[in-house]
Amino acid sequence: MKLKEIDRTAMQAWSPAQQHPIYLATGTSAQQLDATFSTSASLEIFELDLSDPSLDMKSCATFSSSHRYHKLIWGPHSMNSGERVSGVLIAGGENGNVILYDPAKVIAGDAEVVIAQKDKHTGPVRALDVNMFQTNLVASGANESEIYIWDLNNFATPMTPGVKTQPLEDISCIAWNRQVQHILASASPSGRTTVWDLRKNEPIIKVSDHNNRMHCSGLAWHPDVATQMVLASEDDRLPVIQMWDLRFASSPLRVLENHTRGILAIAWSMADSELLLSCGKDAKILCSNPNTGEVLYELPTNTQWCFDIQWCPRNPAVLSAASFDGRISIYSIMGGSTDGLRQKQVDQLSSSFGNLDPFGTGQSLPPLQLPQQTAPQSIVLPLKKPPKWIRRPVGASFSFGGKLVTFENAKSQQQPGIEQQQQQRHHVYVSQVVTEEEFLARSNQLQEAVQSEGFVSYCQRKIDMAQADFEKNVWAFLKVNFEEDSRVKYLELLGYRKDDVRKKVNMPGSCACVKCFTDGYVDGLITQTLLTGNFESAVDLCLHDNRMADAIILAIAGGQELLSRTQEKYFAKMQSKITRLITAVVTKNWKEIVQSCDLQNWREALAAVLTYARPDEFAALCDLLGNRLESEGDSLLQTQACLCYICAGNVEKLVACWTKARDGNSPLSLQDLIEKVVILRKAVQLTQAVDPNAVGALLAEKMSQYANLLASQGSIAAALTFLPTNTNQPNIMLLRDRLCRAQGEVPVGQEVLKAPYERQPVPKGQAGPVAGQMQGPQAPAQQYYQQGDNPPPPGFIMPGAVNPNMPPQQAPSPNYSMYSQGGARPTYPQTYQAAHQYPCGTGGPALYQPQQPIAVPASASYPNPAPNTTPPYLSSAPAHSMPSPLYPGQPQPSPTSLNPVSSFPVPPSGASFQHGRPGPPATSVAYALPTGPTGTLLCFLSVPGPQNGWNDPPALNRAAKKKKVPDNFLPPVPITSPIMNPLADPQSQMQQPLGPAPATGTPSFQPPHLPVGQPVLQGGYPAAPQPLGPCIMPPAASKPSTEGAPGAPIGNAIQHVQALPTEKITKKPIPEEHLILKTTFEALIQRCLLSASDPQTKRKLDDANKRLEFLYDKLREQTLSPTIISGLHNIVKSIETRNYQEGLNIHTHIVSTSNFSETSAFMPVLKVVLTQANKLGV
Amino acid sequence: MIHDAQMDYYGTRLATCSSDRSVKIFDVRNGGQILIADLRGHEGPVWQVAWAHPMYGNILASCSYDRKVIVWKEENGTWEKTYEYTGHDSSVNSVCWAPHDYGLILACGSSDGAISLLSYTGDGQWEVKKISNAHTIGCNAVSWAPAVVPGSLIEQPSGQKPNYIKRFASGGCDNLVKIWKEEDGQWKEEQKLEAHSDWVRDVAWAPSIGLPTSTIASCSQDGRVFIWTCDDASGNSWSPKLLHKFNDVVWHVSWSITANILAVSGGDNKVTATSDHYTRFAMFLEPDEN
Repeated sequence: MKLKEIDRTAMQAWSPAQQHPIYLATGTSAQQLDATFSTSASLEIFELDLSDPSLDMKSCATFSSSHRYHKLIWGPHSMNSGERVSGVLIAGGENGNVILYDPAKVIAGDAEVVIAQKDKHTGPVRALDVNMFQTNLVASGANESEIYIWDLNNFATPMTPGVKTQPLEDISCIAWNRQVQHILASASPSGRTTVWDLRKNEPIIKVSDHNNRMHCSGLAWHPDVATQMVLASEDDRLPVIQMWDLRFASSPLRVLENHTRGILAIAWSMADSELLLSCGKDAKILCSNPNTGEVLYELPTNTQWCFDIQWCPRNPAVLSAASFDGRISIYSIMGGSTDGLRQKQVDQLSSSFGNLDPFGTGQSLPPLQLPQQTAPQSIVLPLKKPPKWIRRPVGASFSFGGKLVTFENAKSQQQPGIEQQQQQRHHVYVSQVVTEEEFLARSNQLQEAVQSEGFVSYCQRKIDMAQADFEKNVWAFLKVNFEEDSRVKYLELLGYRKDDVRKKVNMPGSCACVKCFTDGYVDGLITQTLLTGNFESAVDLCLHDNRMADAIILAIAGGQELLSRTQEKYFAKMQSKITRLITAVVTKNWKEIVQSCDLQNWREALAAVLTYARPDEFAALCDLLGNRLESEGDSLLQTQACLCYICAGNVEKLVACWTKARDGNSPLSLQDLIEKVVILRKAVQLTQAVDPNAVGALLAEKMSQYANLLASQGSIAAALTFLPTNTNQPNIMLLRDRLCRAQGEVPVGQEVLKAPYERQPVPKGQAGPVAGQMQGPQAPAQQYYQQGDNPPPPGFIMPGAVNPNMPPQQAPSPNYSMYSQGGARPTYPQTYQAAHQYPCGTGGPALYQPQQPIAVPASASYPNPAPNTTPPYLSSAPAHSMPSPLYPGQPQPSPTSLNPVSSFPVPPSGASFQHGRPGPPATSVAYALPTGPTGTLLCFLSVPGPQNGWNDPPALNRAAKKKKVPDNFLPPVPITSPIMNPLADPQSQMQQPLGPAPATGTPSFQPPHLPVGQPVLQGGYPAAPQPLGPCIMPPAASKPSTEGAPGAPIGNAIQHVQALPTEKITKKPIPEEHLILKTTFEALIQRCLLSASDPQTKRKLDDANKRLEFLYDKLREQTLSPTIISGLHNIVKSIETRNYQEGLNIHTHIVSTSNFSETSAFMPVLKVVLTQANKLGV
Repeated sequence: MIHDAQMDYYGTRLATCSSDRSVKIFDVRNGGQILIADLRGHEGPVWQVAWAHPMYGNILASCSYDRKVIVWKEENGTWEKTYEYTGHDSSVNSVCWAPHDYGLILACGSSDGAISLLSYTGDGQWEVKKISNAHTIGCNAVSWAPAVVPGSLIEQPSGQKPNYIKRFASGGCDNLVKIWKEEDGQWKEEQKLEAHSDWVRDVAWAPSIGLPTSTIASCSQDGRVFIWTCDDASGNSWSPKLLHKFNDVVWHVSWSITANILAVSGGDNKVTATSDHYTRFAMFLEPDEN
């Protein structure tokens, strides 16, 4: 395809390969005259601008020369990459002169462009060539066998390659070897070709066709093979190209006979040695493979001969041909349409009329339409074989999952001429690209933590590793989520230690007595009013007299109404700074504090909220504070908002805040965020029963970003675990599908998710099958994109019948979600549903909105009221009506086999019960309370505070739910020392009847009586506002508890109380010093069980184990006399030394010295155990 | 001689094409390699293959020196030719499927300088749009811009069909990278990016990672790899940044899915992957077999 045209009769030289942009220099040809017979000459330079679609070449410079040229070459000598134009133009003149031009100066329009000029030659210089290896060396040839080697650095005196060949003849061609730098070949029209070795300074071989008819017009060395060259013959009788190999110099290796008349010029492509151009007097321009003789391409030309042809060194597809009709044409060898060319001709024809309106019609003529006679030729086919330069030898492309597919083709050392196709090695490699090592490592740590549930230690590690204080802080806050008594810990993190405060405040008791008989007028009046029972007046008097304390104390005695009025008056009167805090404490209006506090004091505000806010409003308050910090604070405060959100358990906000504060796009910063989010979500799941699969938009985006990143590092399985399961966002569903399939799982027969886009009709074969087939099930990939309403994730095949009633959002496979595996969540969908049926679950919030952070809420519908304030409910009333109806979907029967983690949260350690979490309590019920693997229930009674009440009850519920605990309560212990008694566990499970066991007459357990009613600030107990002391209530009478909580919605509470199944509530911990009794006895029984062989003994032991519970209960209640206790300890000592006989002796002693009624419940059992132990010798 | 190797959307199947005129598909799940199909139909070396998005089924496009583009489709487990496009006058060097959001559209770049856009219109029919003279003496590469809806970079209310602006980049023997944009159903040259001093061998539009910045990588015969970025939504101001200058021709550039790594394949059979902010270079000189 023709690209450009220049109307010149000229010799041509392309700029060297290094030159960009590409130039073409033309010099007036010496041997041809145009119709003007002008003998003027010029040297011109054109730029090849392929982005210009027109056929015109852009002329850059014209230099009027006194010479006409036989040969023109452009050497790269002294080229600097920095210069726009460089190198040297070397011209061969008519009179034996060799002229060097500086193309840069030509283009610049300088007057003096000649670098040097020598006319050492005789006759016209027709042959010139630059040495490719030493570009300062130029060979020239002229008449009388003259060959000179010019050094451009020392141009004055040329060298000769050796003695002139005889007979003297013209040198028509000269060429440096392309492989060996000191080898030069020269040829003459006579057909004789001489190869010179410049090191030896002599001709080393002469190549001559024996018939002597070669009229050599072209000579070219093989670009790759040092010993091969081609010679072209101008003789019409022998229009051939001979390929010679100097190793067999007697006759040509191959003869190409593609031209019908003499060949005028040849050019061998440096870019592809299989491309040799030749043009001849048959007006053809052919491109042949000299190694095979095959013609690969015939350029479409006009009928004119071309006398010069050149490959463009830089653009391997471009060539130029100079024809005798006075035109230089630039062609592409890659074929293409010649439309552009035709258009130019049309334009020329049209414009040649000069006037677009020759007839004066007032209308311009339409463009001339040429007849489409050239239509069949307008499309020019490309080379038959692809040129080397478009054969891509290497490549690499990324694919999903961070895989890199690379291929390479081992370079074969193909020897052309020797027809040996070496076996090429083709390899495609698939490699895993991992660029984010640290990211992956941290992600793995996170997964491990999630799987092992080692959140606390994970957080601790993070704290230890954190560089920045803020980071430390955040992790500390997160860690607190997994610790008991989180609110207190939060306070400590904020710098408020209860103990410290208490010490400071612990001044002499404020409980002052009113002295009735005192002097003074006011006193007298007060006394009078008091004596008459007129509290109101007394208070007024006190207020009037500025006796605030007296007023308040009197108001307390005067009843609730009076108290609040007094408070109001007090606050109205007092205007100290702290008043607002006190106001808030008393009126519980924390919202106001949070809304109006100075943001610089956000810590104080947060601390106050932590201390006082009711659980149901706690999160909202923290949120509010966070919002304020975010929106109103400076950048420093904005980041602190994260802490508020952590306290609030608001994952979504945390994400938003975090993202806003920092660049979340680098893998590590994303990791930073995800670590926190995952941990916080875990915490929230433990404490609040938010649907852990519910993922907000922003979080979903971040999580899928994270999953994408993991996938891109090849961690596809991990990516799946992090991908939110429960979302309808199409991109996440698609990613999930992609991940599953990438893992090699083809979801067969699944109900696939609804395609987020309409499925396109699939193209089919033109003559192919009907469309119906394509909709068929043949391609799972298509199925995936078809319909399906309920999208279980791919790869998850629901066992048996998928619960059709399941709300769609529960459907996604828990299998893939780490959120589901964590143990804090039921993993089996049905179980999940069952949990929802639990009335206090999702349905809970409405019923269950305690207004007080104290005991009341706990009493609602929970068997276990907050242990610190409310008395135990004895297991008398509608006992155990609850468990069975409430848990229709008991996990035990079936799903256990599906998921060993169990449907109920079972943390690895019974200790990490998260009870301090504030938050929507109702929803937290079902999930908040993991039990230890032993099934023991831990009661957290050692730490007072309303928050305990919040999460304790569920524990009990859960215990009931599991139906294996009640009889075997672990004695209450301080939280800090969880009891892990692995021996007791299986046993207890074996022993437990499935039904709710408390029916077996479990004694009631009294919650510890905690100091309640302490002055608020002194104790720092959130429960403090409750003015009433602990009160033991009869089981049925729940009212006192509601009364005990001022402000509690009484109706609500009553309602709940009525529904309250008063089963055995909770057990106090066994005092630590007596714990050893339990552990030792239980261990002993276990040992006996292991060695006992007959079932009868085992039964006995099992029974004993159960009945010893009576002992433990008594220990909890501390109702045993010291003598018995010490006796029991002695027995333990004897057990430890395996001296069972001694133990029996002590036993006898105890029984004989103690009250029978006190010991009858357990001492006989103990005797059985000791006897068995003795017998079995364990 | 293998000229291209591409994994499908899931990374479970590998398509290769070669000088022997064949297109081969392998199942490479779990590290295996099972030849699924050996597709014959081209009459010249096959330069490139491209997988369509799986929502359209299992579809593979290939282009060849024989001036043809063939769309292959798996029907009932067997692969067959479903469409053959012969509208180019010279070697077709590059094929690239548009983002699936646009439908089934294939861009083809040819040595005849033209770029063809083949859109499936249903019923086995394809509509052809051709950009003539896109790159003088040849287009070497085409690469689609990710589907981005103007104005909203994050979320688009589902339901209504978003109004996408379709763009793709091409690189050619005129040393240019060009950006084409569809306006009123017509493809127009939107930008002409000049920085290379020799043939542009490949262009790769980076996948969208939710940022407003558009990024294109281009590599050239001149050994240079440029990263072009455009921050403004109108897509008018592109600025080049020289990523690296190699000593040999650079044949191929490929972005990772997350657009943070660029794999650069050079003429010395070396593959260089470069990361993120263009500072780190990880060399994969001799990747482990499989």
